[in-house]
Amino acid sequence: MRKCRYENLIDDYLFGRLSKEKREEFEEHLFNCPRCFEETKERNELILVVKDKADSIFKDIRIEEESKSRVREKIFGFLSPKPLISAVATAALVLIIVFGIIPNVIHKTPEFIVSDDAVRGVSITLISEAIPSEFKWEALGEDIKYKVFIYNDELLWEKSTKNNYISLPEKIKAKMTPGKSYSWQVKAFSSHGTLISASSKVQFTWQNNN
Amino acid sequence: MKKKDNSYDLEKITAEYRPLVTFKVKKSIGAHTPEWEDIVNEIMLNAIEKIKSGQFKGESSVGTFIYTITRRRIVDYIRRKKKIATKYLPDSDPFPDPHEQIEDKERAELLAKKLEELKPKYKTILYLYYYKDLSRKEVAKRLGISPRNVSERVHYAQKLLKKLMKK
Repeated sequence: MRKCRYENLIDDYLFGRLSKEKREEFEEHLFNCPRCFEETKERNELILVVKDKADSIFKDIRIEEESKSRVREKIFGFLSPKPLISAVATAALVLIIVFGIIPNVIHKTPEFIVSDDAVRGVSITLISEAIPSEFKWEALGEDIKYKVFIYNDELLWEKSTKNNYISLPEKIKAKMTPGKSYSWQVKAFSSHGTLISASSKVQFTWQNNN
Repeated sequence: MKKKDNSYDLEKITAEYRPLVTFKVKKSIGAHTPEWEDIVNEIMLNAIEKIKSGQFKGESSVGTFIYTITRRRIVDYIRRKKKIATKYLPDSDPFPDPHEQIEDKERAELLAKKLEELKPKYKTILYLYYYKDLSRKEVAKRLGISPRNVSERVHYAQKLLKKLMKK
């Protein structure tokens, strides 16, 4: 049987990643396509179970993740009088590091990974909130590379920068419709290219005053 | 959807669309909201009534027709609720519902067990993709495989689970 083109949108729909228009289009399709509805229901169930029962389902996988963070503790261990046992402590330490209090450590420690739970969406504050022709966020420290993403319902544009601000090229501005909503997001990478933080996606409406 | 005499088979319509309306209503207003069932009933009654009385003339499919009624009713519900408690409600319909829980507890247990039995390769991918909510690209980077490979593996894991659940 041929795959329905809406099938690819199921996960994005369930995670609430579609724009209002796309979401409604998708939902209307569900009301007209029993197969996609079945699939969406099953997928929804799977995601709920995965989220709800993660502790038992992913026991072994979590151990692996933990052992990775233990390696991290060893690396960062010398910085603290006591061993770092909780993810919170690890996160706090990493925040200190990325905020540049101990900037030299970054060069020495290629193992610069942070557990996603701790830092995702927390440490980057988006400063520009509406109508930005320039996007700005709080810098995390030196030697950090940022990647900026602009989405409509899909990724519209992405660009890397070492600054804590960026402006949109005219070519992209021309592609954006005034009054329409878009969202943007910033991810921070260490000098070794490891993701250390990701902001949440923030919505904005494009108003071109030119 | 139609009977031999060209009238709509209302029983069939109810049987087919009630689950859809229920799904959408619960997702939008939250399964923990006690009113969801009343709203579903209301929507279904309204739709059937309109079909019966000939107000639905077949300009669109039955599915689209019922979806439109459903969406309007939800918007209406949220608007009314907002007037009562403007402070606490978001301005669009809250989606997805963070408090949603699987209804069939036994099925959930079984699914969890089957998930546990999967090979680590598939578990890892479901963990990162569905639990950690990472994008395909991010998962690909973490595992050193291509984004396409991520999709394939997720898809395969789902197929495997479906098979295991049917056993």
